[in-house]
Amino acid sequence: MEFGTIEREVYIEASPETVFEVVSSPGHLRQWWPDDARYEPVPGSTGEIVFGDPGAGGAVVAFTVVDARPPRTFSFRWTHPAGEAAAEGNSLLVTFDLTPSGGGTLLKMTETGFREMGWEAAVLEQQYQEHVTGWDFYLARLAPYVATLRVRS
Amino acid sequence: MSTAVAEKVDDDLWSAIGDPTRRRMLDLLLVEGEGTATTLSRHLPVTRQAVTKHLGVLDRAGLVRATPAGREKRYRVDEAQLARAVAQLASVGSAWDARLQRIKRIAEAIQRTGQD
Repeated sequence: MEFGTIEREVYIEASPETVFEVVSSPGHLRQWWPDDARYEPVPGSTGEIVFGDPGAGGAVVAFTVVDARPPRTFSFRWTHPAGEAAAEGNSLLVTFDLTPSGGGTLLKMTETGFREMGWEAAVLEQQYQEHVTGWDFYLARLAPYVATLRVRS
Repeated sequence: MSTAVAEKVDDDLWSAIGDPTRRRMLDLLLVEGEGTATTLSRHLPVTRQAVTKHLGVLDRAGLVRATPAGREKRYRVDEAQLARAVAQLASVGSAWDARLQRIKRIAEAIQRTGQD
């Protein structure tokens, strides 16, 4: 089985211009993902996204804009080591493709790079399962157990 | 800010349960009810020292609770935290689904405001 890519599609009742703004601008990114985002939404711009308070257990994650062609495509790499240039092999690549559809926009998201990161196979698979289907192995074993907890409480 | 907390907790749980040996240990503790590094290591292809380290990770994630037992500690699964973990991991599984739903909500709100 290939653990290379995650793909998602969602239909949005808004123009491609509006959707592009939401998926690409740092101000909007903060509304749907990290707590802070510092980068320019132009190709080659390097920056970072921040989860929580970096001084108290939060995380600062490298973020590099790969492509920005309004209102059709926005892509970026993230999770590369700080100070390293983002490239295939050291980061995950997220691509948003926007297609006008009806009165709105079909937004397609792909995330690739799970294989190329070179993580050990088990971690790779777990990470992928986490992103895509949840915790099949673990949940299968735990579901009956959790059901008993619910009965007792 | 609640999003940040959720991401952080997810990270800890991910680290704790992302390891096959630790998952096997949780399974053993669920089946046996409790265990020590020594009893768990009998069922696992790793040393007692390694098991002790893994138990420390599970402890920090709140997934097990330790009570002193002679020279060792006796561990049990924390049922409430495990139930929370299950719920959370299920939701982490659809992290991108959730992000895309937020993108949709924001974009559609902007569109509506613009048209009003």
